[in-house]
Amino acid sequence: MDNKKKKWTEVVFSYLWSAPSLILILLIVIFPILYTGYISLTNMNVYHWNNYRIIGLENYKNALLVLDNGFLTALLLTVLWTIVNMVLQLVIAFLLASVLNLKGLRLRNIYRTLLIFPWAMPGYVSILLWKTGMFNSQFGLLNQWMAKLGLEPVRWLGGDVSAFLSCTVVNLWLALPFMITIIDGALQSVDKSYYESALLDGAGWIKRNFYITIPLIKPIIAPSVIITTFTTFKQFDVIYLLTQQVGAKTGANIHTILTYAYEKAFITNNYGYSSAISIIIFIILIAFSAVTNMKPKEER
Amino acid sequence: MKKILAVLLCMGLTAGMLSGCGKSGQQDSKTDAATITIWHDKEDEVAQVLQEELEKLEPEVHVVLEKKSDLTEALKVVGNDPNAAPDMYFFAHDKIGVYAEMGILAPITDIIPEEELNRYMDMTLEAATYKGEIYQLPIYYETLLFLYNRLYMSEEDVPKTTEELYAYMQEKTKGGHYGFVEQHSTPYYAAGWIHGFGGYLINEDGEPGLNSPETIQALEYHKKFVDLMPGETEYATVNTLFNEGKAHATIAGPWLIPTVKASGMDVGVASMPVIDETGAPVSPYTGVQGIQVLKYAAENKSEAVEKILRQLMEPDIGVKLAQASGCAPANEACYEMEAVTGDEVVMAMKETAENAVPMPNIPEMDVMWTVAGNLLTDVNMSGKDVTESANEAQKEAEQLIESMK
Repeated sequence: MDNKKKKWTEVVFSYLWSAPSLILILLIVIFPILYTGYISLTNMNVYHWNNYRIIGLENYKNALLVLDNGFLTALLLTVLWTIVNMVLQLVIAFLLASVLNLKGLRLRNIYRTLLIFPWAMPGYVSILLWKTGMFNSQFGLLNQWMAKLGLEPVRWLGGDVSAFLSCTVVNLWLALPFMITIIDGALQSVDKSYYESALLDGAGWIKRNFYITIPLIKPIIAPSVIITTFTTFKQFDVIYLLTQQVGAKTGANIHTILTYAYEKAFITNNYGYSSAISIIIFIILIAFSAVTNMKPKEER
Repeated sequence: MKKILAVLLCMGLTAGMLSGCGKSGQQDSKTDAATITIWHDKEDEVAQVLQEELEKLEPEVHVVLEKKSDLTEALKVVGNDPNAAPDMYFFAHDKIGVYAEMGILAPITDIIPEEELNRYMDMTLEAATYKGEIYQLPIYYETLLFLYNRLYMSEEDVPKTTEELYAYMQEKTKGGHYGFVEQHSTPYYAAGWIHGFGGYLINEDGEPGLNSPETIQALEYHKKFVDLMPGETEYATVNTLFNEGKAHATIAGPWLIPTVKASGMDVGVASMPVIDETGAPVSPYTGVQGIQVLKYAAENKSEAVEKILRQLMEPDIGVKLAQASGCAPANEACYEMEAVTGDEVVMAMKETAENAVPMPNIPEMDVMWTVAGNLLTDVNMSGKDVTESANEAQKEAEQLIESMK
């Protein structure tokens, strides 16, 4: 009996201790989702701003009608975008972090600072700098090089494929500092004695990485990888600012689900309808995360 | 003991976090009937003139001018909450339809009798009217101008017609120089050409006109000009080309003039070229900048609001704005004054404004910027068929307007 009571108080106290953060999460994560769900059932728009009422699933019906072929293409492109970006990010970050951890590397801290630098700049500024400084067909650095080589200027953001690659480059520039920092930290936590014995056994660089480094850092970097996968999946700024900003469209037709939803719904100022689209995207994201989370469980 | 302390701390932290959500923190000045908050997003020169003019009302009325860069979005969120919303705001006329539909604006005629608004130019009053009600007190307006660099283009060279302009472009566009550049795939700039052909992006009834024969004709005709312009023609590229002397002429807003003058250019202002096929000049949109009153303020602070509006109706402010920032005053009386009539830029804007079309102020216009932008990009940059793209864009626009409701 006494034991039970003790357990009960423990439960109460543990909730009490975490109450501040739980309330915070409730306020900034759960509440907006629920509120969006509520708005999606109403006809809140410019014409019914204060006198909106619940109209049931009407918005969802309209949303599903709009989510046509264009949406499917956008969804496929988003998946492709996420895979390409994540693979490149992990490989490049791993290589750079390994180089940073080489024995006898001089000025290590200077390199670290330089590599973290893109992170210190607001994303918006970096993206627009890339757009005008690198890709612009009149003033961009890339085209100045092309001109020096006697080649015709290229509109990098004009074609679908080149725009996709350009966006990927900019996204890597923005995202790599985080990945490098995480992997760099993870590498330093690996016990050096493993490598010493592996070296004695005659394992090469590739074998050491595959059998020691990667398995050991995997659990450490896993949460960051999952988070980055999501931010990549719902990437908006890079693609929108580089190719679709109103007044500066480049002609490339690459849409992720978010830029697609923006053009099809959010510009209408119809909050009920836009919320319905948001909820649908939210469900897709949840499904996506359920799929990606299945793997670690199998491994357990 | 330690445990109790921890519990107390925990509760304190939670309470502290939540207290920010309360409304107790509002300043008292909001409820004070003699204090009026005005949001704006204008450059410093304009804001300073406003501030000086409105300070004349002290101490009876105290005006707080607040610069808000995200004014339009912020108003949507707080427009209905008297504690957080401003009493008035200073912005272009093209959003009044949205806010009037939301029910957060009061008509100006609730406070100032309509007869007294006769002193304003018809075009500005037309811009300020939504569904028969005047929601804005116009102060000044802006329109696009034909600007040229006198170093390359002499006064006689300035094209009177679009065919002359095309001939000039053909002759001068070479070796990294452009005869003429403009933001050809931005609806705000392309609208001038479409209007010149008698087309429109959207009419008063909220019907898009992207695939009307006039609009299609305009898009077809304009393509040959696009071919002689650089591939990228967004704001920064066009203005930099002109500013650096790589483009001889451009169509741009008055806001570009101080920049190019500062870089030492002898810049000329001319009227818009006339389109040969229709005999009408390129007729761009105008934006009328003025002050709007929120419903709450109109109902509860009408005295102070009236004083401010009357102060802003004096011609002085128009003259001062013309001198400070080259703004074209909306008040007709200003054009009898030497200080205004002597200003080349202001007078050029007045001339262009005679043909210009006020930007639509209906909520439906919000989606047109994106759809028309996509259409222009398809036609000008991706080289798609004009009629086909126009039909598609029209369908898209109709669908989006449908989903606004």
